[in-house]
Amino acid sequence: MATEVVVPMLGITVERGKIVEWLKKEGDPVEKGEIIFIVETEKVTTEVESPASGILAKIMVPAGVEVPVLTPVAVITEPGEEVPARYLAPSVEVPPAEIEAPIGAEQIAAAASLHMASTPPEGPIKAVPAARKLARDKGLNLETFSGTGPEGVILLRDVETRLKVGVEPSVKVSTLARRLAEKEAVPLEGVAGTGIRGKIMRADVERAVEEAAAPRLGTVIPMDTMRQVIARRMSESAVTAPHIYFFTDVWMEPLLNLREDILPDFERKYGTRFSINDLIIKAVALNILDFPLLNATAKGQEIHILPDVNIGLAVALASGLIVPAIAHTDKIGLAEIVRQRTDLVQRARIGKLSMDEIERGTFTVSSLAQYDITSFTAILNPPQSGILTIGKTREELILVDGAVKGKKVVTFGLSVDHRIIDGAVAADFLQNLKWKLERPAFTFLNL
Amino acid sequence: MYDVAVIGGGPGGYVAAIRGAQQGLKVLLVEKDSLGGTCLNRGCIPTKCFFYDGKVLEAAKTSQVITGAETLSIDPSKMVARKRQVVKSLVDGLEKIMESYGIEVAQGFGELIAPGHIRVRRANGFSKEHQARAVILAMGSRPAVPGFIEVDGHYIQTTDEALDSDDIPGRVIIVGGGVIGVEMTGIYRTLGSEVTVLEVLSDILTTEDEEIRRAMRRLFDQRGVKTHLGAELQEIAIRGDEVEVTFRDRGNGTQGLRADRVLVATGRAPVLDGVDPAKLGLITDGPFVKTNERLETNLPGVYAIGDLIGGMMLAHKASAEAEAAVASILGASKEVKPERIPRCIWGFTEIGAVGLTEEEARATGRPVKVGKFPFMNSAAAQALGSVAGFAKIIGDTETGEVLGFHIMGPHATDLIGESVLAMSTESVVEELAEAVRPHPTLSETVMEAAMDWSGLAIDSPKKPS
Repeated sequence: MATEVVVPMLGITVERGKIVEWLKKEGDPVEKGEIIFIVETEKVTTEVESPASGILAKIMVPAGVEVPVLTPVAVITEPGEEVPARYLAPSVEVPPAEIEAPIGAEQIAAAASLHMASTPPEGPIKAVPAARKLARDKGLNLETFSGTGPEGVILLRDVETRLKVGVEPSVKVSTLARRLAEKEAVPLEGVAGTGIRGKIMRADVERAVEEAAAPRLGTVIPMDTMRQVIARRMSESAVTAPHIYFFTDVWMEPLLNLREDILPDFERKYGTRFSINDLIIKAVALNILDFPLLNATAKGQEIHILPDVNIGLAVALASGLIVPAIAHTDKIGLAEIVRQRTDLVQRARIGKLSMDEIERGTFTVSSLAQYDITSFTAILNPPQSGILTIGKTREELILVDGAVKGKKVVTFGLSVDHRIIDGAVAADFLQNLKWKLERPAFTFLNL
Repeated sequence: MYDVAVIGGGPGGYVAAIRGAQQGLKVLLVEKDSLGGTCLNRGCIPTKCFFYDGKVLEAAKTSQVITGAETLSIDPSKMVARKRQVVKSLVDGLEKIMESYGIEVAQGFGELIAPGHIRVRRANGFSKEHQARAVILAMGSRPAVPGFIEVDGHYIQTTDEALDSDDIPGRVIIVGGGVIGVEMTGIYRTLGSEVTVLEVLSDILTTEDEEIRRAMRRLFDQRGVKTHLGAELQEIAIRGDEVEVTFRDRGNGTQGLRADRVLVATGRAPVLDGVDPAKLGLITDGPFVKTNERLETNLPGVYAIGDLIGGMMLAHKASAEAEAAVASILGASKEVKPERIPRCIWGFTEIGAVGLTEEEARATGRPVKVGKFPFMNSAAAQALGSVAGFAKIIGDTETGEVLGFHIMGPHATDLIGESVLAMSTESVVEELAEAVRPHPTLSETVMEAAMDWSGLAIDSPKKPS
């Protein structure tokens, strides 16, 4: 029986996904669980497994096209089985120019080794139809392209990049500068050439890249996808969830001393080190067990209290912010928290998080402890209902038996969704967390 | 009042003088000896005269068609005479060029008294002071000899004496396996001397690509040159009409070797005669004068170029810096990029190299691919009868940027030029492969190496995939 392959649900807030690449082509045998295509959403790129074993009989949606989730994109049949007629028409209308790289096997096979791309090749130039069409429409000569596809096939993005870069090779640009501009998608129009007779050299493009990276007064920066997502979600959150904020000062010495006491043994046993943040994350997860409302989502007329406690960590990236979550933070040990945190942060920085790792968060911790920031408020990460903020550790003076002593203090902030969490509950949560952090032995002994 | 006073008339100084004059500056050039500096008088040009004389003899002796070649020999006094003649005609030529531009050449010893203020001491004892808006220091370098070695000029020589000696020593020990040591090894051995090279480092030509070094070491072995690597020199002493060198060899302990001559080729040191850094407050970097990228020293209006500021001590580097210094004086800017300065060595065969070695390129962490082509497969090299060596290109896999080019073999020093051009115009490996070369010429070797980078060399058998 034929099995439909669909774009899976990629998270609560994700509606559409773009197929980046088919790893199998029509007619290929596939195993259940084998990765057959890659889909990209606003936030992550996910590999999609085959739902059944058989033959990938028909691909209805080619690479480069964005479709709503749950759209059927291919059909898997049993060997010898015909593709049911209803699948034979494409499931979505695809404007030709949007097809990025539907390269047939025979095209790849026939493509000459086009690394020497500007040599007018014998026979036709290898380019995908969409690239050919766009080039023709824009009056560009395909012979002047070095294709970035397999075997030098010219892809749609090669033509698009050239259009964006806006300069034909005949304009005075060194080859290296042109290639760098294409790689970095720098429009060459505004780049001043410092080479002989104004030729644009590599250093000029590098300077343009640098200038583009550093915003200056009076410049306009187009938002990339991540920035657009952040902008939309933050305003959504601010408008739909009425925020209220709470602050408390936590005395840090007990936690710092605990860490100092157990770190050498911990390191010996697990071969890794933990931070004060790891302890805080664990304490927050335990605190949520006392206040399940902080692990909830407002949905219409209902409050959904989520079954798992997954603490999300706000990770600052060069171009934005992402919040991967540690799975089952309430249940796992400190070493596992360290392992997950390190791994998630590292992969967040290189854009290699899975959808699940981002969407599973139920409560967020955001720390600016390394900045000189005493306290701050945060916007909730929807659909979550609570976010904890951590400021820097500072010293305050106190009187102990009439003598002035120093005391290490951190201001913790809590933002909650007032639709479902009342001020008293939030205050209770934060006070209880303070109590837990100031008595870490009792907290972590599970007494 | 001059616009520019240049101290030193070598390939740094005379280029600065000519370029300055071409730009309409009033130029004074101070030279204590003869125009052309070390390069023309005691370096590049004399060695090249001897190199090519040796090549003629070698070609005749190894020829399969010339008969009676075994009796051929070189007359060293004629060789030195030819060199003097070549040098003289070049020096004369330079003088005419100076004259044609109206450059005033002051014969004498130049001193920097203060920024904008120089003194020229003539051989007859008279001296004259001059004012100049800008001063370019271009005094060059001289052989650097370790303190315990006393150069007597006959048994123990530096290149200064060796290149003007009209006898060929039977046995020669060369201390130093750098560029100078390797060139002198080639010359002496080709002229019939028994040559031993002592190098304190673990290899000869340590700044060059590993594969190039290995190939040159193989040529040393084939030509019967004895090489001691990791050899720590202890003493050089004249014993009767021989000279004895004592050194500690890696593994073999202390040993002594006797020869008719020792050539000390342990590098070169900048010449700061007439410029007192302590008195002037001139900032130095070790023995070298410190400059910024505009070739300015810390003293206002005082520039320094060439061997004086270190880096690669090569004539064409000095010339490039001369042009950059003049550009700076005129308020323009011209960058001298070390990675685009070619390095040339004339040993038993030639080495031409520019940019990074393969090891350096890989160490950058960039994706790197190597293309190679042997002279053995070149029709022109076969016809020439000189097939040792290869061309090797190193390029960035992603952008095709030429990161380094290394050639060892016939006319490698000429062939490296097109790679330098490709790098300075930012052409990519594929363009070096694409430009049509005339057949049959050695230049095809450059093209084929670039083609091989993409796996597309024509005159190489298919590689096992």
